[in-house]
Amino acid sequence: MIASVSVVRARQLRLLSRFTVLLLSGVGLWMSLNYLNVHVERFEQLFQRLGVLFANRYYPPDLEYITRPGFLKSVLETIHMAFLAALIGLLVSAPLAWLASFNVSPFPKMGYPLARLLITTSRAIHEMIWAIIFVMIVGYGVLAGVIALTLSCIGFSAKLFAEEIESIAPGPVEAVKASGASPLGVFLFGVLPQVKTAWIGISIYTWDVVFRASTVVGFVGAGGMGWYLRRAADQLQSDRVAAIVLLIVALVACSELFSFYARKRFHG
Amino acid sequence: MPQTPPHPHPVSAQRWLEARRRRWRALGALLLLLTLLTWWTVSSSLLPGTDWQRMGGLPAILVTVGRFLPPDLSLIPNLLQPALDTVLIAIIGTVLGSLISLPVALLGARNLAPLGRFGYLLARALMTLSRSVHEIIWALIFVSAVGLGAFAGILALACRSVGFISKILSEAIERIDPRPIEAIQAVGGSRWQVVLHGVFPQILPITVSTIIFEWDVNMNRAAVLGLVGAGGLGLAFYNQIIASHYNGVTTVLLAILAIILIGELVSAFLRRRMV
Repeated sequence: MIASVSVVRARQLRLLSRFTVLLLSGVGLWMSLNYLNVHVERFEQLFQRLGVLFANRYYPPDLEYITRPGFLKSVLETIHMAFLAALIGLLVSAPLAWLASFNVSPFPKMGYPLARLLITTSRAIHEMIWAIIFVMIVGYGVLAGVIALTLSCIGFSAKLFAEEIESIAPGPVEAVKASGASPLGVFLFGVLPQVKTAWIGISIYTWDVVFRASTVVGFVGAGGMGWYLRRAADQLQSDRVAAIVLLIVALVACSELFSFYARKRFHG
Repeated sequence: MPQTPPHPHPVSAQRWLEARRRRWRALGALLLLLTLLTWWTVSSSLLPGTDWQRMGGLPAILVTVGRFLPPDLSLIPNLLQPALDTVLIAIIGTVLGSLISLPVALLGARNLAPLGRFGYLLARALMTLSRSVHEIIWALIFVSAVGLGAFAGILALACRSVGFISKILSEAIERIDPRPIEAIQAVGGSRWQVVLHGVFPQILPITVSTIIFEWDVNMNRAAVLGLVGAGGLGLAFYNQIIASHYNGVTTVLLAILAIILIGELVSAFLRRRMV
């Protein structure tokens, strides 16, 4: 009897504590909505307004606009930017991840924290902000976009690369080390074979992320089709915005399909 | 003395060499392809698409970089409120996105698919749409629908988060153990009871860790939504740029870095506590 009473009691306590947490988060949410000046009552009108907006302004999309040669050239430029940034970013990420993994880092004293700092910083700052900063430094155009995308690529892939290295089996590393190999030899023959498959998967995923970002960095003048998006949005030509967004969705879907097949091919 | 059995796969040196040669040839072809692509992209986009004249040489670039230093520390008191805005937008946007994600994930899980093939395709289309449209574009759309301010930012983050969260969750649902569901169905449980007691407890850990991860990413995104008028630190950043106040730009950048690092610490702590 006593046991069942205490079980009931514990259950009541648990329910009470859960209820309290829920209540507190609700109050917190309500207070922050008030603080942010968000009128929740507008939420019900939102769908109606979105419907009217899409029906009147975004529809029909101006499909003629996205077939103009000038725009198509910017699409090609976007793809080029993503390719260059992903290529450079991945090439830099591989040695950077090697430096930034605590178990096999060749320079654990200096290189490890430096590489970590570099990865964390490029990860913490959004690619749009990188794009703005590099537009300020090197001027409008493709170069600023490529640098910004490269940094965001490094922040993304180097972290995942390093996590893969940190979870490898120590045996092969010890074996290569015992045979008297240099740190580079240890990396090439003890580490790389173990992470190769995972790295290819991560690289393909990184391509998706970089390509998605490349469609909008032009928004701040860093090359590619984003500039056309900005212009259409600023001039309230919503039918053009709709066409460009549709094209972006289609391009990203194509790129994801491509990565899907690439991943399937490499993972067997 | 027992004889050693013959090796199951006799190693033929000939075949091994051939395989190695084929691998090297494939690698060479890949390298050649990458070189050609690089040459093409550099010559057709990078070189003509950049204003080399304005950039000047290395000294000019260094001078520009120098203008960002030192950070203007007197700006810090003005950044506290935008920083709080950014954090709150990220939290509320993630909560809203997660609430939308749960039904989408259920619809898009192949083993449950409560609305059949139609619901499944709809959910998959929503996931792709949500992920492939960048947060800046979502924010643009919502700013034109609900006006400038934090609300547009919250909605943009929610829409952008749905794709990732519901994709991970529906994959988790597809992997669950079917036996608890069958047990609940066998004793006459309704559909809701199946979801509540059969599916939900099994995906709870991955749900929590996915939401925490997405919140971390959303902090990052919330910091740029201000560029299109959706409040927070992005707006402060934009104002400093409009004013060509380079030292202020550095300060805002450091503030963004600070809240994101704090967010990363908090999310690492939460993940360790809850998962």
